[in-house]
Amino acid sequence: MKISVIADFDTVVGFRLAGVKEGYAVNSPEEALERLREVVKKENVGLVIITERLVDKIRGDVEKLLEKRSFPLLVEIPDKAGPIEKKVDPLKELVRRAVGVDIKIE
Amino acid sequence: MADLIEGVNPTRMELLKLKTKVKLAKKGHRLLKEKRDALIMEFFNILEEAKGARRQAEARLREAFNALILAQASMGVMKVTQCAYAAKETPGIETYTRSIMGVRVPVLELQETSRSVIERGYGLADTTSQLDEAAARFEEALAAVVQLAEVERSIKLLAKEIESTKRRVNALENVLIPRLEATVKYIKMRLDEMERENFFKLKRIKAIMEAR
Repeated sequence: MKISVIADFDTVVGFRLAGVKEGYAVNSPEEALERLREVVKKENVGLVIITERLVDKIRGDVEKLLEKRSFPLLVEIPDKAGPIEKKVDPLKELVRRAVGVDIKIE
Repeated sequence: MADLIEGVNPTRMELLKLKTKVKLAKKGHRLLKEKRDALIMEFFNILEEAKGARRQAEARLREAFNALILAQASMGVMKVTQCAYAAKETPGIETYTRSIMGVRVPVLELQETSRSVIERGYGLADTTSQLDEAAARFEEALAAVVQLAEVERSIKLLAKEIESTKRRVNALENVLIPRLEATVKYIKMRLDEMERENFFKLKRIKAIMEAR
């Protein structure tokens, strides 16, 4: 299966150098969502790489879009400005929901 | 006291049926509890992996971006972009699923990311070594990101399964089993009461007959 990148221009160029040809350079979260819709429709994409900064604003729609499918997987990566500050650590939140207690993860 | 199950006749047949139901519910409860505990153990194992994978991917990406910026500085953004378009496509990923305690999680296998300079497909005459470096770093980053995707999806699926198993355990423990037990008790008392009533009727009739 193919890998697809939806990100800012530089990230797309970088992954192209690594051989990921399905890169879409987008400028806004809305555009990213649009692209993601198209990508999801394709049957041969197994993994979508998207930047945190883009996905953060459209999280609700993205989750709705991917809810019922096992593929493609979506992975969020930091862009060239580094990881963004998150209000809640998603891993921590996951632990809290699954186990029912807050545990410290450094 | 827990609610009774509605529409149950206080008969001996119903009592027997309910008793087997209680037994079954208790067995199911025990099994689900064990499943939940095992899932939580798996969850913590993968959690360790997930933390490491995210850190690793972030570090690799940082290196990759730095290398890319250097390449763009030495060759110009346009040229780097051109080379990126010329680069050959990787074979992509193999996907299949694996089962952890009955939860189907995806496995992603990236085929051969690291390539030699010649295999990448852009021309060597007018490119700098920084570009090669950037490509190599991004190949490493890609491997780390694919690994991260797999682990994060696995842990999400496990968390979901734990949640639903927990809900089922609680439903059995706090609702179904107490209800069944309360109903069993109710039927038993009704049957005992009926027996006493009958006994009293007989005694009473006997007394009346003797008095005549």
